[in-house]
Amino acid sequence: MNANSHSKKQFAYPLKWRLFDAIEAIFETVALPKMRAATPYIWLAPALALIGLLGVGMFLMLDASFRELDRSTFTLSSTYSLVNYARLADYSVFKAVLVRSVLASLVVTVTTVALALPYAYTMVRTEGARTRKLLLFCLFVPFFIGAVVRGYSWVIVLGREGLVNDFFGLFGFEPFRILFTPLAVVIGMVQYMLPFAVLMIAPAITSIPKEVELAAEGLGANWRRTIWEVVLPLAKPGIVSATIVVFTLSITDYAMPYMMGGGMYDFVSNLVVDIFLGISDRGLGAALVVVLVALGSLIVTAIFLAFDYRTILRKKTFINKQLP
Amino acid sequence: MTRKDIIFLHQSRRDFLTSSAKLAGLAGAFGLVQPHTSAFAAEPEKPGELFVRAWGGAWSDALKQKVSDEFSKLTGITVTHDNTYHAEMKTKIWEAQAQNRTPPVHINWDVSDIAYESAVHGACVDLADLPVIADMKAAAVPVGVTGVPYLNPYLYVYALIYRPSKFPDGAPKSWKVLLDPQFKGRIVATSSGNGIIHAAQVAAGGKVSDMPDNMQAGWDFIAEFRKQNPLLGKDEDMTKWWEQNEADIALNIISNVTDIRDKGGDVAWTVPDEGAYATNDCLWVPKGFPENEEYWAKQYVNFAMTKDPNQNWCDALALPGLNKGFVAPAKFKDDPAYPTTDEQLKKVFFIPSEIQVKHWDEWVLKYKSIMNI
Repeated sequence: MNANSHSKKQFAYPLKWRLFDAIEAIFETVALPKMRAATPYIWLAPALALIGLLGVGMFLMLDASFRELDRSTFTLSSTYSLVNYARLADYSVFKAVLVRSVLASLVVTVTTVALALPYAYTMVRTEGARTRKLLLFCLFVPFFIGAVVRGYSWVIVLGREGLVNDFFGLFGFEPFRILFTPLAVVIGMVQYMLPFAVLMIAPAITSIPKEVELAAEGLGANWRRTIWEVVLPLAKPGIVSATIVVFTLSITDYAMPYMMGGGMYDFVSNLVVDIFLGISDRGLGAALVVVLVALGSLIVTAIFLAFDYRTILRKKTFINKQLP
Repeated sequence: MTRKDIIFLHQSRRDFLTSSAKLAGLAGAFGLVQPHTSAFAAEPEKPGELFVRAWGGAWSDALKQKVSDEFSKLTGITVTHDNTYHAEMKTKIWEAQAQNRTPPVHINWDVSDIAYESAVHGACVDLADLPVIADMKAAAVPVGVTGVPYLNPYLYVYALIYRPSKFPDGAPKSWKVLLDPQFKGRIVATSSGNGIIHAAQVAAGGKVSDMPDNMQAGWDFIAEFRKQNPLLGKDEDMTKWWEQNEADIALNIISNVTDIRDKGGDVAWTVPDEGAYATNDCLWVPKGFPENEEYWAKQYVNFAMTKDPNQNWCDALALPGLNKGFVAPAKFKDDPAYPTTDEQLKKVFFIPSEIQVKHWDEWVLKYKSIMNI
C-alpha cells in the first residue's frame, strides 16, 4: 500500500505540468495539422502580444507624427505631411535637448558602467560573506525606493541648505549651487542606474572561473593586466548589456532631469510631456518621440556593432565551452 | 396632470434654473434650506456621485471644504475629486468624447486658456442658462467663443515675489530687477513661459497690444534673462524652491506663497510699475453625460459661483473671486496682486484667450529655445 502510493507520488506530474499539457492538447485539437508543429511556440504568445501592443502604440505614434494639428479645432489633420518634422528643425530647443540627452546619457553610461564593474567584481569575488551581504543589501535597497524619493533625497544632500553646503560652511564657504546643475543631473542618474548595471555585470563575472585569473597571475600578469586582458574581455557580454540598458534608460529618463535640473536641463522626455500636455500638439510630440526612438535605436545598434554582437548573443562563454 | 406639472413643462430650461435659484436663495435667506431638500426637489434624477477634476493639495482641499462638501450637504450627491493634471484630463475627455464614451469627470477645473481650446474643440456644454451668470463680473464670462462654455470663478496675477530681507529699500519697482546680476541663479520663473513672456514684453518697453505681432523687445529681454541662470518650474516647484531658500525673486501666483507669509516667512510680492499678467481658471462641464448628470454638473458649477461658496472658496485660495458680491479680505486690501477694484485692475493686463491660445505653441517653443540653449 505504502509502496504503491509512493510510486504514484513519484510518477504523478505536478499540476502546472498537466495544465501546460492540457493547453498544448487543446491547441493541437483546434489547430490545423500543418500548424501542430508550432505547438511549443504557443508559449511565446503572451510575449508577442505585449510586443505587438508596443508595436501598435509606436505605429500610432508614427502615424500621428505625420499629421498636423489644426489649431482652430484642435484635431489632427486627416492628410499626411512633414510639417511636424520641419518644426523640429525650426526651433533650436529640439536640437539642444536631443544633443543634451545623448551626450548626458553617454556620460551617465560610461560613469555608471565604470563604477558598476569594481562593485560587481568585489561582490562576486569577495571571500567574506558579510561583505557580500552588505554589498547586496546596498545594491537592492535603492530598488525599494522610487526614483522620485531618491531625487528628493538628493535635494536634501545637494541643496543650498543641504548636507554638502553645510559641510563646506564649516570651513567658512558661502553656500553655492550644486543642485540644478548638469552635474547634479548626472549624479542623480548615475545613482539611479548603478544597481541595474551591477545586476547585469555580476552574472558575467560569476561565469568567469576564478582559476582563469589565478592562471593569469601564475603566468606573471599583475592584477591590472589580469583585469584588463582576462576579466574585462570575458565579462564583455555583461558589460555591453549594462551599457545598452543604462543608455536606453538614461536617454528616455524624465524624473531626474526634472527634479535635479531645475527646469534648465531638460531631456527629450521632459520636452515631450510639455508638448503633449502644455501645448496640446500630439503631432509634434509624436514626431519628437519618433526621432528619439530612431536616434536611440541607432546608437544601441552602434554599440552592438562596436562590441561584436555575436559574442554578446552567444549562449555560452568561451571559458564555459573550453572547460570541462 | 396637475397645474404645477403644466407650468413646469412650459418653462424654458433657463427660466426653470432661474426660478430654482431664486427659490433656493429665498429659502437660504430664511434659513429654510435643509440638507437634501427643497432647493432642487423638482429637478431631474440625481446621480449618486459627481466627479470633479481638481489640482491637488491645498487647492483640492479648498474646493472640497468650501464647495464640494457644501454641495453634497445640499443635494445629497457625493462629490469626488480627481487630481489628474488638467492638461492631461483635457485629452482624456476629448478621447472619451471621440469614442462616444462617458467622460472621466463631470466638471473640469481648468486653466481658462486651456478650456478655451476645449471650447473651440466643441467639448464643453453651454452654461449660458445658469442663473448665477447674472451675478458674476464681466471677467467671469469668456469672450470670443460661442455661448458660455466655461465660467471663471476668480482671477490671478503673475506677480513679482521677493524676499523683503534682500530688498531693504522696499519692493522692486520694475521687472528689470530680473536682470540684476546680484540675483543671478536666485530667480524662479515658469517652465512654460507663462507670465514671464508677458512680463518681458512690458518690461522691455513693448506694449501688450503689440502681442503677437511685435514681441521682439520681449524676446530680447528673455535672452538677457537667460544669462541670469534662473530656475524654471511649475507653481509647486516655485513654492518648494522658495522654502528651500533656492531663490530670492520669483514670478508666480501669490496663492502659492501666502501660506509662507502667513507663517512669518521671508516673502512679499508686488506688481511692478509696468503691470503684470492676469488670467483665470474656470469650471466647465464636458459633453457626453446623460441629461440628468449634465444637469447636476451644471448645478455644481452654478453653486460654486454663487456668492457665499465663491467667497469662501476664493478666500481659501487667496484669490479674488468674480462674483459681484465678493469682498476682499482685510489682509489683501490695497494689494495690487489681488485686484478687486477697477483701479487695481488697471495695473494688471489680460491677453484675450483667442490670441493667447492661437500663438501659445509658438511662444512656448521660442521661450524654450532661448532658455534651453
